[in-house]
Amino acid sequence: MTQVAHTLRDKTAVSGVGLLLGDFPDRTALSLAIDAYQLALDDAGLKREDVDGVIQLSFGSDYDRFLEAVGTDVRYAYQGWSHGRFIAPMLQQAALVVESGMAKAVAIVHGRKRRAFGQTADTEMWRQGLGPHGESPANGALGPVYGAAVAAQRYFHMYGGSSEDLAPIAMALRKHAQLNPIAVRKSPMTREDYLSSRWIVEPLRLLDCCQNNDGGACLIVTSAERARDCKKPPVYISGMQGVHAGRQFHNLTLPGLGVAQQEVYNYTPSKEDLYAYQMAGVTQKDIDFLITYDAFSPLVLFGLERFGFCGPGEAREFVKDGRIELGGELPVNTSGGLLSEGHVVGWNLFIEAVRQLRHECGERQVKNAEICQYGSFLGETIIFRR
Amino acid sequence: MQTSTKMVDEKTGRYLPFIYPEELPFWEAARNRKLTLQRCGACEKAWYPIGPACPYCFSTKWSWAPMSGRGTLHNYVVYHKAWTKWFESRVPYAVVQVQLEEGPRLTANLLDCDLKDIKIGLPVEAAYEDVTDEITLVQFRLSGKSSRV
Repeated sequence: MTQVAHTLRDKTAVSGVGLLLGDFPDRTALSLAIDAYQLALDDAGLKREDVDGVIQLSFGSDYDRFLEAVGTDVRYAYQGWSHGRFIAPMLQQAALVVESGMAKAVAIVHGRKRRAFGQTADTEMWRQGLGPHGESPANGALGPVYGAAVAAQRYFHMYGGSSEDLAPIAMALRKHAQLNPIAVRKSPMTREDYLSSRWIVEPLRLLDCCQNNDGGACLIVTSAERARDCKKPPVYISGMQGVHAGRQFHNLTLPGLGVAQQEVYNYTPSKEDLYAYQMAGVTQKDIDFLITYDAFSPLVLFGLERFGFCGPGEAREFVKDGRIELGGELPVNTSGGLLSEGHVVGWNLFIEAVRQLRHECGERQVKNAEICQYGSFLGETIIFRR
Repeated sequence: MQTSTKMVDEKTGRYLPFIYPEELPFWEAARNRKLTLQRCGACEKAWYPIGPACPYCFSTKWSWAPMSGRGTLHNYVVYHKAWTKWFESRVPYAVVQVQLEEGPRLTANLLDCDLKDIKIGLPVEAAYEDVTDEITLVQFRLSGKSSRV
């Protein structure tokens, strides 16, 4: 059995968050990042001098320009590759940096424009040995959606069902977005609206895909002790596990589906696959709501099955009858998620977890929310508690 | 045959594959209407994507080996959105994954096949599509179909 670092449980916390979402035609990625940073500092009641660590991802403002513009020096800086699967590792890194004493307060900051100069996304499809979502441009296998479409197709082939089974996911998240003032997509969505939305890459329709928008996001991580002196109640980082990777873990896919070179089998998580629960001292039953990476609707199925909320092939039934909606058995992506709230690499998903656990979410508040899990198809997870 | 990092064919507007140095034997074989992949000298498995060592036993004693070209249609999706102008006249088109008899799965398109005839599990065989004077793609056809172009 994996030995987990119990000592990390509740040692660190998210102390401040800031988020901007939407259209900012006259702004740059850098200025959106700085706005989000100022919002998060204010949210935490911290000053820029209090922050001695900065983590950013590519595709936006770079860490060095950001710090030049902010006018502070830090003793810990890091910049990673901007992909949704790396948001959990970045927050984990912030917690580890704080816990180890390399920095006292780490700000994860991101600003992004939907179209910007010099994005890796423009060239990564030509990577040696297929793109990061399996893309093969010469064969017309294009865009991240390819990875989600091939995974969904295999899922339906193995377990039955069809793209119609994705309707309850898109509709649930849209309902949540309607209760979220800053959500980008808020118009009502009926089953008919879903079914008549155009195919993008069959079996996925337009409404199975998130939109791209401009945005900025910031989360500030401090020690739990320090967080208790901040303006807002701390949201503790209680458990975590990393992105699983290798031939059995293709991007946007659950293990066992036979995407790319994966083996074909029915995936059920072992205890070994779920060590974050052990670190946090909780089980699936304790999770009040789940946040999962939902750039495409099938990923919600995969997140649910990866963490054993449902057995193999059972998530497509689980998501029906309002079970993943607010008030349901396991509300999922209560902000509307990437599908309907908007896309800021996924940082907005963490920010929703924090705001829910502070009980700041008004109409869409999960009643008595105590524990939230962020968990996605590659096994990466963070368990938060208030 | 030379390496290439050209993304788009200026003449047609079609996306091209990059030809990486260690992949030249694969592309040279394709040009000669043959499918060749790496096969491990230690464990005898073949693999894809092309890489410097056997992903099964991590041996670097491998050689290029001819593949049968026979396989099974393992998965497919259908593109309805045209990413670039070149694709506008091609949509809807399918992208498939073929599982070769030898084990590896390749990403390809099916030549001369109506979308309604595509089904997971069908037998397929390698076919070849010249996209430029230099570059030929390894594609597939449903088995038993004549090789009309």
